[in-house]
Amino acid sequence: MVHKARLLVFMLVLMLGTGLAAQDMGEPQYAGLDMDLSGINIRMANIGGGTYEVMYESISVFEEATGATVEIVALLDGFAIDQKLKVDFATGAADYDVAWDHTSFMAQYTDFLLPLNDYFGEEDLAEFSPAIMDAATVDGNLYLIPRHADISPIHYRLDLYESEEIAAEYLAATGEELTVPTTLEQIDRQARFFVENGHSTFGYTLAGREEALTGRFYEMHFASGGSLFNENWEPTFNDEIGVAVAELLRGWYQDSIIPVDTTDLLWDGVAAYFCNGDTAIKLEWYGWYAYFQSADNCAINHNFGLARGFTGLSVGGDAVRPSGWAGAHAFSIPATAPNPEAGAQLIKFLSSERVAYEEAQLGYLPVRNDVWTRIIDDAAMAENPLDRERLVLAQLQVSEDFKTPPLIAEWIPFSNIFYPHMQAILLGDVSAQDGLDQAAAETREMMADAGYYG
Amino acid sequence: MTLQAQVRSGGNAEPEQRFTDGRISARWFPVFMLLPAILFILVVLLFPLLYSLYVSFTPYELLKPNSLKFELARALRNYQKLFADAIFWKSVGNTIVFLFLSINLSYVIALGLSQLLARVTRGQGLMRTLLMVPMMFAPILVGFQFRWFFNANVGLVNNLLYSLGLMQERGQIAWLVDEPLGMFSIIVASIWMNLPVLTIILLAGTLSLPVETFEAADVDGANSWQQFRFITFPLLAPFSYIALTILSLDISRAFDIVRIMTDGGPAHRTELIWTYVTRLAIENTKFGLGSAMSWVTVLLAVAFTLYFFRQLVRSRVVR
Repeated sequence: MVHKARLLVFMLVLMLGTGLAAQDMGEPQYAGLDMDLSGINIRMANIGGGTYEVMYESISVFEEATGATVEIVALLDGFAIDQKLKVDFATGAADYDVAWDHTSFMAQYTDFLLPLNDYFGEEDLAEFSPAIMDAATVDGNLYLIPRHADISPIHYRLDLYESEEIAAEYLAATGEELTVPTTLEQIDRQARFFVENGHSTFGYTLAGREEALTGRFYEMHFASGGSLFNENWEPTFNDEIGVAVAELLRGWYQDSIIPVDTTDLLWDGVAAYFCNGDTAIKLEWYGWYAYFQSADNCAINHNFGLARGFTGLSVGGDAVRPSGWAGAHAFSIPATAPNPEAGAQLIKFLSSERVAYEEAQLGYLPVRNDVWTRIIDDAAMAENPLDRERLVLAQLQVSEDFKTPPLIAEWIPFSNIFYPHMQAILLGDVSAQDGLDQAAAETREMMADAGYYG
Repeated sequence: MTLQAQVRSGGNAEPEQRFTDGRISARWFPVFMLLPAILFILVVLLFPLLYSLYVSFTPYELLKPNSLKFELARALRNYQKLFADAIFWKSVGNTIVFLFLSINLSYVIALGLSQLLARVTRGQGLMRTLLMVPMMFAPILVGFQFRWFFNANVGLVNNLLYSLGLMQERGQIAWLVDEPLGMFSIIVASIWMNLPVLTIILLAGTLSLPVETFEAADVDGANSWQQFRFITFPLLAPFSYIALTILSLDISRAFDIVRIMTDGGPAHRTELIWTYVTRLAIENTKFGLGSAMSWVTVLLAVAFTLYFFRQLVRSRVVR
């Protein structure tokens, strides 16, 4: 009885506290509605598919308040919209006022984009994560306004880390406690242990093709203190650290610590292995969280935990740091936009606290601090404590570990040179050093053609 | 004589006269009538072809408009880079292997199927309809379908092998990764897509062969194999070369299949000229280099086609 009374009081206090907190924060507000845009037709080319399009339902509010009409001229997936933008920019056909953009792709487009510094003041940008805004700026010019972000935490199977038998076995085998890994070397030891002792089919999983493989290598190399290029844009990924990372990955493949079809895997394939419970550990985007927690879809539901990205290999010495390959979907204004000012107003609306909050409720990671506060408070009431822990962890990673690939137009061409060599290393066609040296030579030639070396 | 009258009279009235008093001679009348089509072809086919030839001699990059300029000293640089590129030669080699195996195996299987279908006495309509099923799928869907079949983790083939006890653990065979299984997988998908057209053409050819020849062979005591070897196969030659010519021109549709199944990987193991052109021109935005490679591809395709046409003409002469 006493317990029940205490529980009742606790619930009342919690409800009152939550109510007061919500009252303090007030309702999330729209922005960009303070201009009369009657008679203006704003054209927008944007990313589409799945839950990306939910945001665009709010555009009717903008149209009603400003008098403008918004015409969505393209809704394509990320690959297709990138192709469209390239062709439209090259042919001068980008006759729209708002275009999709991404921190990883932005550098290709900068010659064809309008700097946004004149359209967005400090007040407009105050709530945005500084790390992401840095990634949106080239030579002092702001080229994009972020929409939502993504970064990868470690995902691990809870049953493996909560079993006393496995912990004792691991202690006996390695002489160290089995704890959630924080370093790449710990991941290596644990992943091998889980596979070699039959606790998991695979110890680790990663995407093994295209930019996904390049990005994961970049992330491990960076976390180990390395850098893909030096200050003169000479490739440096074939250094001691790069070779150590490549040999680690090659060893995992050759010893079946990662799946036999790793070089064929992209994000969905990697997610499938974790979803089935076949993988002990992996680094994965937050966006898969709802899928993994779905009892209808995944055996792993309610059986996994999340942790901050690993720090790299000790070969990097004091330079090791947490992994954090990250990116953000965003909006830009083409230089050929007929109504750039109206386009900027639409971007202010779409990136406002209210619209961003509504999109964050779909599971996307926000880029605004005020939205972070709101969704973390919301998650406090969730049944699964991981719902809130996930957001707190994501906010920490976005604010401290957010690291884009080099902001150069040659990122994708570089990746297309690099990843086949990395695949050849994994498959055992070539040694780690030779493969990286070949990739570095081809990259140097590509960068020279692009005019990097004078 | 009016134009109409000229046409009716076979155009013999004023054969040398052109555009006199608004009249057109019969000699030039067909050209005049074909002019719209000729202009259309020039605009949509010849102009892009010649323009891409020009681009292939420039360092043009899609997002660098100023790079579209011809410099004599650098004109052959794209071709030099291409011929020095080991991946280009690997993709050419892979493409030749792919074309050779895909076309020939498709032909052999289609020939066998056509002979079986020609002898079916009941349910021939149903069987022909079933045979057409692969034609109803877009190549991109065929790619997705076979990508799933050959998926190491959840694919049909590995699960079948596991269920039959031919594989000890699930997912042991990486069909789309291992060499030469990756090439084998895309060739299987390509053959599946090619079979209907080839089989229908060869079936039509088989059914059109003169019955008397076979009756005479029966009287002479020729067995089925001898009839096929010495009558059916030689008489089918024109149909075979037509089918193979169509297939050799159409085989580039396999691009979608390869793009979806392996995208030329891993480590360029299944790289074909079409996937490599796409990587250079579209993904890397190197339009100049991509155009140079496209022209090499066009020349290869023309060589193939010329070869088949020569064989076709020769077979008709022999017949």
